[in-house]
Amino acid sequence: MSEQPNTETNNESNEQRSMSRRRFLKILGIGTGGLAIGAVAAFPIIRREAQLAINSSFSSFAPAADMPESPFVWIQIDPDNTAHLHMPKSEMGQGIHTTIAQIAAEDLELDWEAIQTYHADTDIGFTQFTSFTFGSSSTISLYQPVREIAATMKQMLVTEAATQMNVDSDALNAQNSRVFLKSDTSRGMTYGEIIASHQGEWVLPDTTPTLKPNNDFNFIGKPMQRVDFKAKVTGRAIYGFDARLDGMRYGAVARPPRYGAELIRVSAGDAENQAGVVAVVIRDGFAGIVAESRSQAHAALAHLDLEWDGGTTWSQDDVDTFMSIPDENGTLVQRVGQLDAILRDNQSIIEAEYSVPMASHAHLEPQSALVHVQDEGTIVYCSTQAPTTTRNFVARAIDVDSNTVNVFPTYLGGGFGRKLGTNASVEAAILSQATGLPVHVGWTREEEMRYGYHRPPSKNHVRAVLDDNQQIIALEHTIASGDIMYGSPNVPNPDLLAAILGADPLALTSVEYGIPNLQVRYHRKALPIPTGSWRGLGTMPNTFAVESFIDELAHQADIDPLQMRLNHLPDNEFGQRMRAVLETVADASDWQSPPANHTYGLALGHLGQTIVALVADISVTDTRYTVHRVWCAVDAGLIVNPDGARAQVEGTIVMGLSSVRYEALTVQDGMITANNFGQYPLITMRDIPEINTLFVQSSDVPIGGLGEPVIGVVPPAIANALFTATGQRLRQLPLRLA
Amino acid sequence: MQLTINGQQYDIDIPDDERLVWVLRDNLGLTGTKFGCGIGICGSCVVHVDGQATRSCITPANVVTDSEITTIEGLATINDAGDEVLHPVQQAFIDEQVPQCSWCMSGQMMTAVAFLDQNPNPSDEEIVSAMSANYCRCGCYVRIKAGIKRAAQEEETS
Repeated sequence: MSEQPNTETNNESNEQRSMSRRRFLKILGIGTGGLAIGAVAAFPIIRREAQLAINSSFSSFAPAADMPESPFVWIQIDPDNTAHLHMPKSEMGQGIHTTIAQIAAEDLELDWEAIQTYHADTDIGFTQFTSFTFGSSSTISLYQPVREIAATMKQMLVTEAATQMNVDSDALNAQNSRVFLKSDTSRGMTYGEIIASHQGEWVLPDTTPTLKPNNDFNFIGKPMQRVDFKAKVTGRAIYGFDARLDGMRYGAVARPPRYGAELIRVSAGDAENQAGVVAVVIRDGFAGIVAESRSQAHAALAHLDLEWDGGTTWSQDDVDTFMSIPDENGTLVQRVGQLDAILRDNQSIIEAEYSVPMASHAHLEPQSALVHVQDEGTIVYCSTQAPTTTRNFVARAIDVDSNTVNVFPTYLGGGFGRKLGTNASVEAAILSQATGLPVHVGWTREEEMRYGYHRPPSKNHVRAVLDDNQQIIALEHTIASGDIMYGSPNVPNPDLLAAILGADPLALTSVEYGIPNLQVRYHRKALPIPTGSWRGLGTMPNTFAVESFIDELAHQADIDPLQMRLNHLPDNEFGQRMRAVLETVADASDWQSPPANHTYGLALGHLGQTIVALVADISVTDTRYTVHRVWCAVDAGLIVNPDGARAQVEGTIVMGLSSVRYEALTVQDGMITANNFGQYPLITMRDIPEINTLFVQSSDVPIGGLGEPVIGVVPPAIANALFTATGQRLRQLPLRLA
Repeated sequence: MQLTINGQQYDIDIPDDERLVWVLRDNLGLTGTKFGCGIGICGSCVVHVDGQATRSCITPANVVTDSEITTIEGLATINDAGDEVLHPVQQAFIDEQVPQCSWCMSGQMMTAVAFLDQNPNPSDEEIVSAMSANYCRCGCYVRIKAGIKRAAQEEETS
């Protein structure tokens, strides 16, 4: 069947939109005798401003333009009754494959045990944005389209079963991947049997069937066990670092002594004579080794004859100076009322500055890829959050058409934003092309800590004026942050970049309080050090600043910090949701009554539509502090998998605590100082508090994501508790008492 | 060089100083043992050498030629009906839904199994002490602890 192009506009009515989406469903030719349906649908539902900015930013290299041709998810049922779900999202621990399976199983009435999940390869045709896994956007972008595909597919199967069983379709029901008579459940056919007996073409129905009411849910909202855990606990799950092909060899690549240094002269030296070396590969600005083993490849690097030139000589003092916030200019991100006039006319301005250092993603599976470049096409196995970007970068590096490159995303051993990068795949492709062999490149921890990109450093300056009633009448938040897309060759439209490519774009609006005069400005700091996406982007630094500052104002005004926040909620639905989340966390923690010798700290935050609030219970001994308990209330609307969502909240709190206690990368002579966990420890089980997660469900559909939003509230909640305990206001991560 | 892994003998031709993690993963295809740091800090690579939790990324293969090596692939058993039966720690990690990305979990489980063999009835503090040299970047520590407690309890009642 042929496809109609998407010509609908955004202001269509709901009914029209439903009809138009109907038209984008596709019956897909799989060629196995199965039935497969995919759909194209909406853009990830992130804040509209960010959406527009990103949309126009990326349009010059086209994913927005070709999105309507991209199926959102494929559901394929085979004659053996197995339902194969081809996922367009990376499983990096967040449980998205289980979530999508639950959504599909609901309206398609699947037998949970008969579901197989896959990460779709790029030949399946998911385009750039569909296949990106980022921004806590997977569930909210997939919920509706997957339900519609599933419901449509079920209707087709019931209609076909009615024909085959010679009954009216109203007499039939479906459950557990089987259609049966309502009056006699023993008479029925499995989906596989219906498909196997089907004659001729499948025809899509004219309208989208009515979706199940929430009251009838069997899968959505239930704590289904993760579909990937059997493979994971037995060691059988395959990650990029685990990919294997017959005849594969191992690659290692020479690294510069300073960021930005160029390889001006290179010769093989005696590297070719080293044990196990298969080839020395030298290209413009690139030198690498292919060897029989990883150890041999890395050992031979020292025998290359290399001369590097230039690059940055910055040390940490240079970074700190450079990060200072200018008094003027910057990009205006948010403005309400007449801030300048209030600040000009007022003598008593309260102000503070907060800073967050560079940090490592420290995903425990380093970057890795297995690539085989052959005349008939190139295959790439890698753990990636961005399969199509990987395809394009590999194609460019080895000068082939990107359609000849197929990327097979594996499980990811952690992502956190770092696996939007493509380095290992590009390096393996260059080495494979030069040797004709399948080559695996797996980065060492030292390479990962120094030559990956890092969490951008940031400084946040906040100023406010309180009126006689201790209400905040003016608030200014000025942000300076490193880039999230350092050195990306794909970067379009520099003007727009200045606006969005800080750490901030998806947190975009820093302040949600109802303050009559408000301004948020952003300064992009292009450092000579690689920085990039790190969990939540601006969520952590912005929330650390604003929520510490609200606490400072509360103490200055001698108002309880919870009451201070309640006094400044916006008079709208978002404000009502903020109130519910605050009250939930306050009730659960018994906010007014911390245990003896303990103090509580509170922070409120959001990312997109997800609202979170966290109370931390701490105690201090000398300069050491213990976090005993935390309570985290979360409103992301309907939760598809409550246990998976709880795991995301717990994990984000732990990662946040690691930043609070330990993590900072520094630079010396143009290079990150730490080279492994010896100089850059992470949090361990010893520092973990009791974690209580409380869901507030203000909507009967998912309205926000959960992979990132909680990261922001952890540092300010701890800092605020530490202030109450000690009187020390810590404005810099990691939080260290004097 | 001869190695005994999960009860099976392997005869392999590798450089003397090759570390065990790469022999397991790259030479033998036992990729359930993970690599994380290469200096024995993160614990992703833990295997058992004669029942002792051992960091394979800093262990030269040639020092364990006379030992019994067990990896995550050798933890489950096969019952009389030919079905795979997970080790109680593996089963508890599923029951408590412990992992997220799971890259560290082979090392966590191998560390936990060796620990529970020595101390079948641990206190919370003993669990923390035994597990505090294994990193989990996804932050599953609360559940790792719960999984180990559950495994200990199920062992006790079985």
